[in-house]
Formats: sequence, structure tokens, C-alpha cells
Amino acid sequence: MNIAWKEIKKSKIRFLILGSIVFLVSFLTLIISGLSNGLSQDNAALIKDLPDGQFYMNEHANETYNLSRIDESTQETLVNEQKDAAALSIQMGFVNDADDKQHSVAFVTSTDSNLFEKVEIGEIVLDQSIEEDGIKVGDAVTNNQFGGEFIVKGFVDQKKYSHAPVAYINMENYQEIYGVKEMQLVFVPGQDNAQAIDGLQSFSNKEFLSTIPSYSAEQMSLNMIIWFLVVISGMLFAIFFYMMNVQKIGLYGILRALGVKTSRLFGMMWYQMFFITAIALTLSVALSQGFTMIAPEGMPFILTLEITIQLSIIFLIIGFIGATLSGFQIRKVEPLHAIQQGEI
Amino acid sequence: MAIFMIDKVKKSFANGDVEEQVLKGINLSLDEGEITALVGPSGSGKSTLLTIAAGLQRASDGHVYFNGKNMTNMSQEQIRQIRASEFGFVFQSSHLVPFLTVEEQLMLMLTISDTKIKKQEQKVEVTKILKLVEMDHRRDSYPSSLSGGEKQRVAIARAIIHQPKMLFADEPTASLDSKRSKDVMKLIQDLTKRLNITTLMVTHDEEMLTYSDRVITMKDGLIV
Repeated sequence: MNIAWKEIKKSKIRFLILGSIVFLVSFLTLIISGLSNGLSQDNAALIKDLPDGQFYMNEHANETYNLSRIDESTQETLVNEQKDAAALSIQMGFVNDADDKQHSVAFVTSTDSNLFEKVEIGEIVLDQSIEEDGIKVGDAVTNNQFGGEFIVKGFVDQKKYSHAPVAYINMENYQEIYGVKEMQLVFVPGQDNAQAIDGLQSFSNKEFLSTIPSYSAEQMSLNMIIWFLVVISGMLFAIFFYMMNVQKIGLYGILRALGVKTSRLFGMMWYQMFFITAIALTLSVALSQGFTMIAPEGMPFILTLEITIQLSIIFLIIGFIGATLSGFQIRKVEPLHAIQQGEI
Repeated sequence: MAIFMIDKVKKSFANGDVEEQVLKGINLSLDEGEITALVGPSGSGKSTLLTIAAGLQRASDGHVYFNGKNMTNMSQEQIRQIRASEFGFVFQSSHLVPFLTVEEQLMLMLTISDTKIKKQEQKVEVTKILKLVEMDHRRDSYPSSLSGGEKQRVAIARAIIHQPKMLFADEPTASLDSKRSKDVMKLIQDLTKRLNITTLMVTHDEEMLTYSDRVITMKDGLIV
């Protein structure tokens, strides 16, 4: 007989309260996780969409790509020697449309590579978000530091950097705008281990992302919130089951006096924990997935199935740990004391 | 024939720096199907003796034999198994599980005891016992809706549903009025005789002694 289920059925309100709290905490965690992931994409989709590899920047750049200048000969050797390698530069800037309205962009230029858009002199390829501002293919956009005009050649999907839409331009145009000949970075895809190159410092994709100040600060804060919520939900389980167990000490004592195994009492508690968590998680996953559909336009919200499954598993594990910790008092229950306590 | 033997059982508790001896060497044997009442003033050690006999606590010295086996040398798990399958308990308060119906209380006991009664026959057995304690009409009721006497009837049914060899009753009528007490004692007497269950019972109520085969009086940790 499943006494755990019988108790849930008889004490609906008590379990509904716990379930609601778990649902709210897990829902909030999923939403913040979706926002965190969305902001992360919004901040660094340009880098995150690249295959795994190594970034190289000048070792004297103090891990700041903006300060990095890679010597032309070193760049040439690296790009020629390594398959699919590309030298690139990123600079924040803006373009003006026909109405002289300014649009913030992240100018990106690179040597010939499949990883970045190939753009001819005088052309520009923009992130799709700019299209929503009314700019169309064939339009001309300008920049104050650029003598000529850029003709919009096309749009790319979800390419953002530092929350700004990416604008791919030709290297010659880039050099004119920023007045530098050298590229800031060289990216070598598919390289698991960095190559020791004189004067250059290497970074994996993840390491490079953490050198972007806004990215690491933003992600660190959001991740901290997520983990706090996960820990809080574990504590909630521990506290709630502890309180329930305290109320049920008499019952546990009687059941033990009658011959119920302690392991069965733990099983009862785990069943209840998994039941409540499973329902709460199903609801919060369904609602958070629903939220991805109704999230306001422009809100950076990406909740992947992988993250959802990961967080759900973590919630189940943390709930299990919380409930188990609180359940240790069951082992201390003396049947004799429970009998002497009176009615349960 | 003795099914249960208590041999020179002593029990002491530490009370601060002083060691208090509650049982001072008890010898007792219980015959199969016999109802034995333990009486005596408060603090005489009768409840302690009952709980040691029932395997709910261990003696400081001496031995307890059930069915020829020395329980004193058994592990906690072995004692738990005996409690679950061979012993039945009726407490002063009924101690029913609040979220189980009357029928479920009995079904639970069958599950705990690992009874040899086949699954499909368990319901029939429950009905039979509920009829014996005249509680069949309340089989779907929860303890909160039962009177004190009804709860105690269900507790008795729960104590015997798995056909134990021993029944331990700790003041089973203490929370009931005189009429209900007599009814409950009559029921215990009737059922234990019918099912050949050996009973050890603690009581304060002299009226209840008429339902016992033997009365053992205790005073200051000794049988007098």
C-alpha cells in the first residue's frame, strides 16, 4: 500500500503549499536562466556562435582585445599556417541611415574566412535587428569617420556583440574608420590546445568571453541569482520536510513500533518529495516554455531544452538532499516515546 | 506451554549521577492463549516490563525468550521483524494513522507484517476482522470521525489482523468510559481466546481484571 500517496491525498493543502513554493522558485529560476542565456547571446552571439578554438591577442594588451594589435607578419604566418584561421577586429561604433538617425553597431572585420561574412569594399552586412528599424537591402548608411557610404548588402540572423547589432565591413574600410593597420585578434578554429606563439596570448572561446568586462559581470550576477534560487529551493525542502517530520514524530514512532522499516519511512518521504517536485517542475517548465512564445519583442530570452533539463535534474537532486537531511531525525525516533506521547 | 519467558530481567535508568533501578530481577512465563494482567501502583515498573517484553526497549540485564528464542541477543532488525509479524500492540491512545481509513489501517498492518495471507484474500480477512470488532460499517472512515471506543476497536483489529502470537496492551481502556472499557475488554478476551493469542496487559482498572486469566502485581520493580 502506498501510504505516501494516501497522506498526500488526505493532506492536500499542506502538500499544495510546498508544491506551490517549489513551482514558484523553479519557475523564477527558469525565467532568470532564460534571461541570462538570452542576455549572454545578446552580448556575445558573435563569439558564442563560433566553433571551439583559440583566440590569440597581443600579450601586452592586458587581456583587453581593444588594446591588442597583432603584428602583420605574425598574423600572416598564423592565418596561412592554420586551416580556416582568421584575423579579426571588433570596435563599437554607429551608422547613420538616410534620415540621419544613428544606430549603434559593433563593426567587425576579418580576413577571408567562412566564419565571418565576406564583404566587399563599400558594402555592409548588418544584424537583422537593424532591419526592424527600417533599413533595407540596398540602402546607404554612413559613418562620421568614413568618407564614403556603405551599401547594405544583406542581413544576418542573431549576430550581436555587447548588446549591439554586428556590422560586417571590409578590412580596408575598417582601417580607414579606425586608422589602424593591425588586427586585434586571430581566431584558430578546432584547436583544442593553444599553440605557444611569441608575443601572443591564447584564450579558449570561454576564456575569451570572460575577458569581455560587461559579459562576465552580467553573467556572474545572473548565475549567482540562479544558484541562490537553487540553494534556496533545497533549503525550502529541508525546512518544510523537517517541519512536517517534527509534526509526524509520533506517527513515525508508532509505525516503527508496529514494525515498519526506517528505510520505508525514508521511501515515503522521497516519494512525496519526487511527486511534488515532478508536478511543480512540469508546470514551471510548461509555463516558462510558454513564456518564450509570449515574451515581449526585443526581450533577450532563450531557454533551451538542455538548460531546462539540467535545471530540472538539479532541482530533483537538491530536493532529494534537502528532504534526506531533514529525514535523519526519523532514525532518532524512539517508538517508546511516541507511544507515551498520546494521540498522533 | 510457555510461549514467552522473562528471566531475571533488570532495568536501570541514569537519573543524573544516580542510577535508578526500575526492574529488579523479574521472572515471568506466559502460556499460550493466556491473558495476563500486570497491575501495581504508578512507578512499580509494569509499563517498563511490558515495553521490554514487546521489544521496544532492551533490558539492562536478564533475558527475554519468545517461542524458545532469546530476544536479548537479537539485532534491532530481528526484533523489528518479530514485532511486525508475531506481536500485536494496543496502546492507551489508539495511535491510528490519521490519513488512512479504517480498512487501510488494517491493510497497512498486513503489508508491514509480511503476512502469508494471499493478496486477494487480504480484503476478505480485513472484512472478517472488522465484522468481529463490529466496525465493518465504518471501514471507509478516517480516525478523525471515529469515537474513542471505535478507535480502540480499530486499534484492536489492527493488532490482530496479521494473526500474531502475542498481544501487548498498555492500558487499553484508560481513555474510555466504564461501559466502553468493558466492551473493549470483552472484545480482547473474545478475540484472543478465539485466535489463541497470548496477551500481556497493563491496567490500572481493577474492574478489567475479571477478563484476565492471571493477575501479576508489581511493586517497586518486583513481582509481589
